[in-house]
Amino acid sequence: MPYDDLRGFLTTLEAQGQLLRITDEVLPEPDVAAAANAAARMGDAAPALYFDNVKGFTDARIAMNVHGSWANHALALGLPKETGTKEQIDEFIRRWAEFPVAPEWREDPPWAEHTMDGADVDIFKVLPLVRLNDGDGGFYIDKAAVVSKDPDDPDNSGKQNVGIYRIEVKGRARLALQPVPMHDIAQHLRKAEERGEDLPVAITLGNDPVISIVAATPMRYDENEYELAGALRGAPAPISRAPLTGLPVPWGSEVVIEGVIEGRKREIEGPFGEFTGHYSGGRRMTVIRVDRISHRTDPIFEHLYLGMPWTEIDHLMAAKTCVPLYQQLRADFPEVRAVNAMYTHGLVVIVSTATRYGGFAKAVGLRVLTTPHGLGYAATVIVVDEDVDPFNLPQVMWALSTRMNPEHDLVVVPNMPVLELAPQADTPGIVHKLIIDATAPAAPDHRGNYGNQVRDLPEAAEWLTRLRELAARH
Amino acid sequence: MNGPCPRCGHETIELLFTSPVPGVWDLLQCERCLYAWRTSEPARRTDRAAYPASFRMSQADIDAAPEVPSIPPLRSRP
Repeated sequence: MPYDDLRGFLTTLEAQGQLLRITDEVLPEPDVAAAANAAARMGDAAPALYFDNVKGFTDARIAMNVHGSWANHALALGLPKETGTKEQIDEFIRRWAEFPVAPEWREDPPWAEHTMDGADVDIFKVLPLVRLNDGDGGFYIDKAAVVSKDPDDPDNSGKQNVGIYRIEVKGRARLALQPVPMHDIAQHLRKAEERGEDLPVAITLGNDPVISIVAATPMRYDENEYELAGALRGAPAPISRAPLTGLPVPWGSEVVIEGVIEGRKREIEGPFGEFTGHYSGGRRMTVIRVDRISHRTDPIFEHLYLGMPWTEIDHLMAAKTCVPLYQQLRADFPEVRAVNAMYTHGLVVIVSTATRYGGFAKAVGLRVLTTPHGLGYAATVIVVDEDVDPFNLPQVMWALSTRMNPEHDLVVVPNMPVLELAPQADTPGIVHKLIIDATAPAAPDHRGNYGNQVRDLPEAAEWLTRLRELAARH
Repeated sequence: MNGPCPRCGHETIELLFTSPVPGVWDLLQCERCLYAWRTSEPARRTDRAAYPASFRMSQADIDAAPEVPSIPPLRSRP
């Protein structure tokens, strides 16, 4: 059964033993972030955390690490919490086949219960904000789904966007937002600024778990995130119209913040500890003026700790970075078997493919660089044969060990785009990219001395079952 | 309010918010570098002397900060 809001999902997490309530009084800093940092070190079944006794606040409610493990990610998709990583990605691919599923307009959103307008807007009265990492320049919102439209084509719902971007809170009604140039909202902002206009935005916090997943999915520019949410949920996503901007926002959000990115304005922002495991430097970034805040009674502030991988953000992005890359590669190369882009949002991508002829794997690797997501990520692409599971890193290392000849199999493509947060670039935003062809040469390429490959014995599968049964009896 | 800002040393500090339970903490912000902090945070985030050198920011750093994303030219109007 799909969740229509965050609260419904938290109830399930608690019932499944996947939510820890921290009832002792904690300091806003460093306790909330340190606990979420620690939760990320608890492994594949790490729980969500819920704080409601935060020093100095009278009624703070903070949920952290909601998507912070494969167990919680499985529950978000309505799967058993024991579902394996690869199985979750396969299920994601199966459900994507139902895309698009049109959203459902629903009346009386719970976030309409309370509003603040104009001079009364004070974000600090609504959200119990906390700093995450020592060097962060301030207090951030980093798990909100931000809604905007294409200023040149505002009636095109495909070109609207729902995405997660880092947002610094700089005042009662003033925010900063980071639009990475490769992301859809940057295209919206660019068009608005070319027109000399502000860009209206709706920042929605505390969403049902599938909204956060689709907002973290690098879809094509003209694909509608709500229509993917419907496919993943197996039911239309409930949405409502935000009262000030008219933007379509999730019906079940805890908080909806409306305002504009002020056109042609930049101001110092950051640093912020990023998903790369490094701080971004201080940069002059966009400014948002907040004009209206709507929120539920007793809103829950959903927040996300990120830092040295893996943390919640890696779990939130892992499956949904793999799947669109897989779909886009398969459209041109049906030989592609699987894509693992789970590491650092796909700064490394591992592709498994059948090879039709010599050089084929290198061509597949190059295609990764020209996918929408590959433009900003995919600094290194490793291509392996179809008999190598790209999610099985020991197998990938075997392919690198034996099927890659450094003399022939490294393709460096100079001066390619990458997101500016990638710390390895000499000039932020520009980097050489590397294709590693770790497939065995195919005719007419006859390099190497491969001979016959050793394969598992035909009887081994039966013995595996037998040994597992024996082991289970002990 | 008077500083200094833990991060840039500037002397003019603004009060952003104060704890709903009176007297527990204040949220402060530097007028120049916009660093924001809560007075109840550890000294490494609130005290100029203890603030790590690698996170410090100067007026020159602010002036040299890159623009992200860059502002495009206005479209020419027919």
